[in-house]
Amino acid sequence: MAGGRPGAQMPHLSKMERVVVSMQDPDQGVEMRNQRLRITVIPHTVAGSDVVDWLVQKYCISEEEALHLGTLLVLHGYLYPLRRPRSLVLRPDDTPYRFQTPYFWTSTLWPAAELDYAIYLTKKNIRKQGALVGHEKEHYDQLHRKISHTWDLVVMQAREQLRAAKQRRKGDRLVIACQEQTYWLVNRPPPGVPSVLEQGPERSSCTAGRVQMTKNTEFYKREMERYRKALTRARVKSSVCLEAYLKFSSQHAPHDPIMSGCLPSNPWVTDDDTYWTMNAPSVTVPTKLRVERWGFSFQELLEDPLGRAHFMDFLRTEFSAENLSFWEACEELRHGGQAQVHAMVDAVYQQFLAPGAACWVNIDSRTMERTLEGLQQPHRYVLDDAQLHIYMLMKKDSYSRFLKSAAYKDLLAQAVIPPEAKRRVFPFMRKLPHSSPSPALLPASTSGEPVAAASGPECGDGGT
Amino acid sequence: MAREECKALLDALNKAIACYHHLVLTVGGSADSQNLREELQKTRQKAQELAVATRAQLTAALRDRGLGAEERAEFERLWVAFSGCLDLLEADMRRALALSTAFPLHAPRRPLVRTGVAGGAAGVAARALSARSLRHEAEGDFDVDDLREQECEILQVSEMIHDMEMKVNVPRWTVQARQTAGAELLSSAGACSVGAVSVQERTGPCDPSKALAATVFSAVLLAAVALAVCVAKLS
Repeated sequence: MAGGRPGAQMPHLSKMERVVVSMQDPDQGVEMRNQRLRITVIPHTVAGSDVVDWLVQKYCISEEEALHLGTLLVLHGYLYPLRRPRSLVLRPDDTPYRFQTPYFWTSTLWPAAELDYAIYLTKKNIRKQGALVGHEKEHYDQLHRKISHTWDLVVMQAREQLRAAKQRRKGDRLVIACQEQTYWLVNRPPPGVPSVLEQGPERSSCTAGRVQMTKNTEFYKREMERYRKALTRARVKSSVCLEAYLKFSSQHAPHDPIMSGCLPSNPWVTDDDTYWTMNAPSVTVPTKLRVERWGFSFQELLEDPLGRAHFMDFLRTEFSAENLSFWEACEELRHGGQAQVHAMVDAVYQQFLAPGAACWVNIDSRTMERTLEGLQQPHRYVLDDAQLHIYMLMKKDSYSRFLKSAAYKDLLAQAVIPPEAKRRVFPFMRKLPHSSPSPALLPASTSGEPVAAASGPECGDGGT
Repeated sequence: MAREECKALLDALNKAIACYHHLVLTVGGSADSQNLREELQKTRQKAQELAVATRAQLTAALRDRGLGAEERAEFERLWVAFSGCLDLLEADMRRALALSTAFPLHAPRRPLVRTGVAGGAAGVAARALSARSLRHEAEGDFDVDDLREQECEILQVSEMIHDMEMKVNVPRWTVQARQTAGAELLSSAGACSVGAVSVQERTGPCDPSKALAATVFSAVLLAAVALAVCVAKLS
């Protein structure tokens, strides 16, 4: 059931209505019988098997499909069973059913209102003399809280509707009561029963419901705009996308705690937070995985505070530390408070951009012109062009040198690989359990062990 | 007193709307006929008359600046009930129009849905009009003209609702209804007899008819015993 606009009749409901109406044809419709209830005789009963046979004959479909279609009709309330009204299924035997009156046909144009439901529940309360049970009692109380200001009307209407119903014959009264009950079973299903009126999430590309009948100039203007936007969309070949995705996955797989486990041990499993202390933002000796990660891309290096600090040291040896300082100052401007924007822009200009400044950065003339123009009306993104220029400069130039430098290689050599925490185990266990069980690592045969290993007090603190 | 009149009018309107709702339920079903359409029209017109009268009274009362706080609260309650009634009436009228158009009684005839409701509803309409019985006096193609009338009347009712909202300012959330949850159970014994209507096809009888059968049987038994005693005494 695709999402549709609220307030419009959903197409499958119109189709079902057509089927029901064609069943009413006096010559070619479904066979009807009479229902005998002690003294009263109520006409227009139809057996489940008759419905299935008629559908098979009319639409030339298989019996299974006819049964499914018939069940849909019952689920949506177009047919209701007479013996067990709460079980909305079509049984292909002589179970009697009856057609629902068009007023109560399921409709998204006339959604069931709270006031009507309140009146129905009040009527039921009167008929059962206060013995409403289950979800109906809950709904009754909820409704009383929600629409307590119109409760007078609810009680008045309920009483009057019951009195009006008494003017009819007994058979008609029974039928109308059944019809109303079915309507509310469909529109306010009891808990556990899925609601047939639920519309799925609205799909923005679905234009089926939005067909505009008049193709006027507005329509064509919108179409032209839509196609113009579609032309400018950036497109990447899926082969390129997938290659990049594969490369990313293979590069980052050893770094992912779920895919490759984490050393020394998973803190969530062993309650030992060595992993976190060793990977803290500012730690003297970083782990090897962390240092390797700085080599993946410039963005990774800058995002890690420790990496940025080491990069800054390296740049100082090369006498180009002002680039990184400028970049950091621009970041602060972008993410800082609105009130400080003016002051910061001035400070940055004085320190980095003014001719003869202390840490003058080397920006090309065109970008410099644009920036100086923008400084007349400073806002937080005014230095974006310059920042990008410096970023690309560092990336192409200093970053590659950093990765080849002795400093980086020393860091790699000194980086520590934490050993896997040893777990205290029972002497008769065949295999040493992993201290960071990972669904990607464990083969299926040892599936019993992590459950045992992860429990109880014997997963103590492993050695560090 | 104005309050009593308003209450009486509102009760009559409520009755008419309930009967109208009951009649609209059967449109398009097996009980649909020219008679039903005529009954619908009469009930509808009666409901509209009552609505106009009630509205005039209530507006006059609420516009009166010199009204005490308690009286005003009372009138506001009536107002909220009245606007609820009008909303129900409008919704039912719209639905009646849609159904009458979808199931026309004149050619081209669409087969009516065989719902099992067979009897007439003259009693319901008579109740709405507070009359003893209803005479059907419509000619053949009654429902065609009626459709156009229905559209006009729906517009009139919508206008009335809109006017009401604009002219009288009654915040609904401040109104305290007099009836509490379960108040309908404190009604007269007339409502209890409706409990005899069973919605499921029961194999066992309902209690009141069981009681009736038991009393009849015991009366017959007593009569038989008395007769036997008399016969024994005489012989």
